[in-house]
Amino acid sequence: MRNLGIICFSLILIVLAGCSQPPKPSNKIILWHWMTDRNDTFQKLAQEYQQQTGVEVNIQLFAPSDAYSQKVIAAAQANVLPDIYGVLDKKSIVADFIKAGLVTDLTGAMDADGGQWKNSLFDKALADKSFEAGNIYGVTPGIYGVPIDVTNEQMLYNKRLLAKAGIKTPPQTFDEFVRDAQALKRVGITPFVSGWGELWLLDCFASNYAFNIMGEDKIFATFRGQVKYTDPDWIKVFSIFAQLRDKGVFIDGIVTKGNKYAEQDFALERAAFAFNGSWCVNVYHDMNPNLDYGVIPPPPISTAYPLKIWGSAGSSFVVNGQSPNKDKAIAFLKWLTAQDQQVVLARETNNLPSNKQALVDVSPILKDFAKGMDQSTHPNIWPLNEDPSVSEAFDKGIQDIIIGDKTPLQVAQEVQQAKDLQRSRGSI
Amino acid sequence: MKANRYIFWGMAKSTFIHIFLMSVALTCLFPIFWMVRCAFMTNDTVFVDQSIIPHHLNFGNFALAWTKGNFAVYFVNSVIYTVCVVTGIVLISSLAAYSFSRLKFPGKNIIFYLFVAAMMIPLPGSFVALFVLMTKLHLINTRFGYILCMINVGLSMSILLFKTFFDKMPHELEDAARIDGCGKIGIWWNMAMPFARPAIAVIVIFNSLNVWNEYILATLLLGDSQLMPLQRGLVVFQGANSTDYPVLMAGLTMAAVPIIIVYLFMQKHIVKGLSGEVIG
Repeated sequence: MRNLGIICFSLILIVLAGCSQPPKPSNKIILWHWMTDRNDTFQKLAQEYQQQTGVEVNIQLFAPSDAYSQKVIAAAQANVLPDIYGVLDKKSIVADFIKAGLVTDLTGAMDADGGQWKNSLFDKALADKSFEAGNIYGVTPGIYGVPIDVTNEQMLYNKRLLAKAGIKTPPQTFDEFVRDAQALKRVGITPFVSGWGELWLLDCFASNYAFNIMGEDKIFATFRGQVKYTDPDWIKVFSIFAQLRDKGVFIDGIVTKGNKYAEQDFALERAAFAFNGSWCVNVYHDMNPNLDYGVIPPPPISTAYPLKIWGSAGSSFVVNGQSPNKDKAIAFLKWLTAQDQQVVLARETNNLPSNKQALVDVSPILKDFAKGMDQSTHPNIWPLNEDPSVSEAFDKGIQDIIIGDKTPLQVAQEVQQAKDLQRSRGSI
Repeated sequence: MKANRYIFWGMAKSTFIHIFLMSVALTCLFPIFWMVRCAFMTNDTVFVDQSIIPHHLNFGNFALAWTKGNFAVYFVNSVIYTVCVVTGIVLISSLAAYSFSRLKFPGKNIIFYLFVAAMMIPLPGSFVALFVLMTKLHLINTRFGYILCMINVGLSMSILLFKTFFDKMPHELEDAARIDGCGKIGIWWNMAMPFARPAIAVIVIFNSLNVWNEYILATLLLGDSQLMPLQRGLVVFQGANSTDYPVLMAGLTMAAVPIIIVYLFMQKHIVKGLSGEVIG
């Protein structure tokens, strides 16, 4: 009984001692991240930074990203976030973190020295981490995140397989792409693979062509409900998939394929073209280091408007708004995104650097991917987005077209019905 | 003639049952075989070589997994966590279950049902609460804090299982022990615990498996990589976009061995424990 009393008393003491002291400034900053494949490089760079500045950077890895997100949310509630961390969630959640004072506004630091830091980074990546004036989240306008790398989604082609089919240059137009696909089929090569079991990737491909066919004003007008999905331009977008299906361009089971499996197919030369993100450089290198491939934007189907690809910040960090070491944390991120460090990161991890100047010293395939950043866009930087239930009807409708269950007109009507339903409920 | 037919049907039935059980066993064992097979391959061959036995065996993955995954540290950590958590669960849940089964105190049933209801709450649902609590108690990023939380995770199921056994324990046994001079703790230790040996086996197996394979809560509560369990070593081989499959499989193979050994030691008690059968 006496022991039990001692244990209870000790527990009470511990609880009473639970009122934490506010953190004090120190010469050590803590960074939480989730990027397993970049951990060794981060550790190496942190050591280098300590040698240069005397500031210790404690890099802590928590993976996978789901577990990391849980930890960040829990730490935010307990008010024990580290000096530097990432918010792996949609923009509305980032906005919540900002409004809670857990994220530092970096605009001042970015604009210092004539905007040297800001100008060194890809505009699209910074736009993804910024909140514009009058944003729907009610966040004070500014730049709140630092992109460590950027990504974009484009078309990959296998040079060896194309040569086998007698194709000397990759297609520049959609018609050429269909023609090349027929040539590949004639020699027994599957023309195209993508992980369209993952709706976002299918949405990305469809949206590229929507920009090309009708331009962004009409797309946003559709989101606002001013243009219907039964408009001939939208039916033209849906018809692309019917045409590719009829020509036998797709690999079998494309609508149920996860992107990891699609990546395997392309890396192991089971298909000549793939639609994938720039991270694939790393994946293909691991699976087949000898793969000889190139990258092009999806071949445009129209000359009416420029084809836009999705591209934005890849991984990014924010600085804890309540950190006593804010300045040191910002200084480290500035150093990490400087040219030399970005070259090291790009070389060792095969990701696209967020610093434009670092492109001079990266692999040719990454350079080609980077060219696409000029014509990139992303839902995160659009002035408005489609309702999720309408987007789902849109993407699943395209899957139905690919498997031959529905016609483009049927899908257009169903998507419009989903849109009308949401509007009648007042959610749009 | 009738006897022959009887023998024939008996053999047919036995053959059918054996074929069925063998196919079930095969579906259980094949993934383990595939894991071990891939552990001996390389990144170049793992996606290409479709043969059952790889053409070229690569033994280096195990050494690589051990060193790159920092298994030496994580292995010891996992052993510490598993032993402490399972011991804690067995002691606390058996004492609690014995109280619920044999003692009379106000609110007994309500408290018991609260424990049982706790099983319905998925672990992720309590993540934030646990993190905040451990932070306030200054137990975040400590072995002790993680062990306490893991004991908490395993209590409900174990209490339910122990209580099922203790409810079946004859009162005469208890009376005899009391006549021999045993107090409540003495009866629990000398009578109830040996009586519930099959339940202990099941609880040890299930909780060992749970603690050995746990990672999410460790990620949440532990910051220092030197305190992390074995599963942390395996994460190193799984990038956001690419995975080093052969080394990962080698790591998984090494991680699976201890838990298979625990299972083999305890297997004879498992069926009795799950069916609530008591020692005769």
